Amino acid sequence: MKPHHHLDTATLIGYSAGALPTAFAVVVSAHLSICRTCREQLRDADLVGGQLMKQQEGAPLSASTRDSLLARLRATETAPARMPTTAHPAHDPDLLPAALHPYFGDRYSTLRWRMIGPGVHHIRAHDVADSHLMLLRTAPGRSVPMHSHGGNELTMILQGSYDDSLGHFAPGDVADLDVDVEHQPITAPGVPCICLAATDAPLRFSGWLARTLQPLFKL
Amino acid sequence: MMPPDPATHKVTPLGVVRRVSTSASQAADDARYWAEQMACVAARRDMDGFMRIYDHFGPRLQRYLLGLNVPAAQAEELVQEAMLRLWRRADLFDPARASLSTWLFRVARNLYIDSMRGEPRWLPIQEGLDWLDHEHAEEGGSSAESFTDHAGLSQAIDALPAAQARLIRMSYFEAKSHSEIAQELGMPLGSVKSTLRRAFAKLQLGLGRTP
Repeated sequence: MKPHHHLDTATLIGYSAGALPTAFAVVVSAHLSICRTCREQLRDADLVGGQLMKQQEGAPLSASTRDSLLARLRATETAPARMPTTAHPAHDPDLLPAALHPYFGDRYSTLRWRMIGPGVHHIRAHDVADSHLMLLRTAPGRSVPMHSHGGNELTMILQGSYDDSLGHFAPGDVADLDVDVEHQPITAPGVPCICLAATDAPLRFSGWLARTLQPLFKL
Repeated sequence: MMPPDPATHKVTPLGVVRRVSTSASQAADDARYWAEQMACVAARRDMDGFMRIYDHFGPRLQRYLLGLNVPAAQAEELVQEAMLRLWRRADLFDPARASLSTWLFRVARNLYIDSMRGEPRWLPIQEGLDWLDHEHAEEGGSSAESFTDHAGLSQAIDALPAAQARLIRMSYFEAKSHSEIAQELGMPLGSVKSTLRRAFAKLQLGLGRTP
């Protein structure tokens, strides 16, 4: 999987600085796990963070912190580092990206979709305090009912694909959009398109049906 | 020989203090010096060398965490935890991939997100991402940082226009989201992002990256 649509550098700076709302950080982590280009950009952003941290004047630490660190060093066993299980996404097409497991579970096959309109299902992640994270599944050949606006929107394609005025978006691609970008994605024929979407304002769906449904489903 | 203490060249809340022209090469020497210290720690489990690293970087990490509104006692805990991770992972530390300052920044940031934001599994996910590139580097992929990067970067930071420097600082030192920055400065969200993009492009130019 080699993505063609990447993260905005402003988004990567936010991630590096620990400043992204949680839902956005989750989408970024998922994209980073499959995109070396963005990981290299992130390393530069971390380098900037490290350099800024180094240039600052320090704040005093208490003497007891130093003593307790020394004591803990003496008590710490060192063992050769081992690769964590999250490092290698297993090549199991049913497995969601690791960053999504806490919010949606491990597998596509066990997702509990809720219908929100003809051909459109979604799952909202709970426990995301400062932003909104959801999976959206749109049937083939339909328009994706996105449109948050009034805020940021970051989307990653997990399965299927869609096309809009910005191009063709396939699995692994992200649409990292500024507030003022208008787009109307249409899913490709064949398989449903599953997207992961982060927004800082609740998603607003356009169209009379979505407007009718929205209050009912608290989208 | 330890280079002159870089604390004299600091970023103040009001602006980047203009440095003397030698600061760029100092930044490179400084990065090299700490990489050597770390190599000793990795090779000999040298506690004195390790505590020199702590004495230099510990207070800077503390300042960083205080800026993110971590209460002082908890910040000291996180500084200790970051240093312990460095001690345990000394054998993994590869100065060709990341300088000590980058490494410590990253770990402190991750511990901050883990403890303050309670994001589930943030740390293992970050570790997983780290390994992807570790393996890539071992397979002969590009090395990410060189000591001269630090020289170019430190010059580029100094040369940022005030408005760009301000947004970079608000991002890194206050962990403010783009929307929060926009609100606080009364700027449109789109301009916050485009200003950050322009600033980052200049910093990457300083790092010698080709656009």
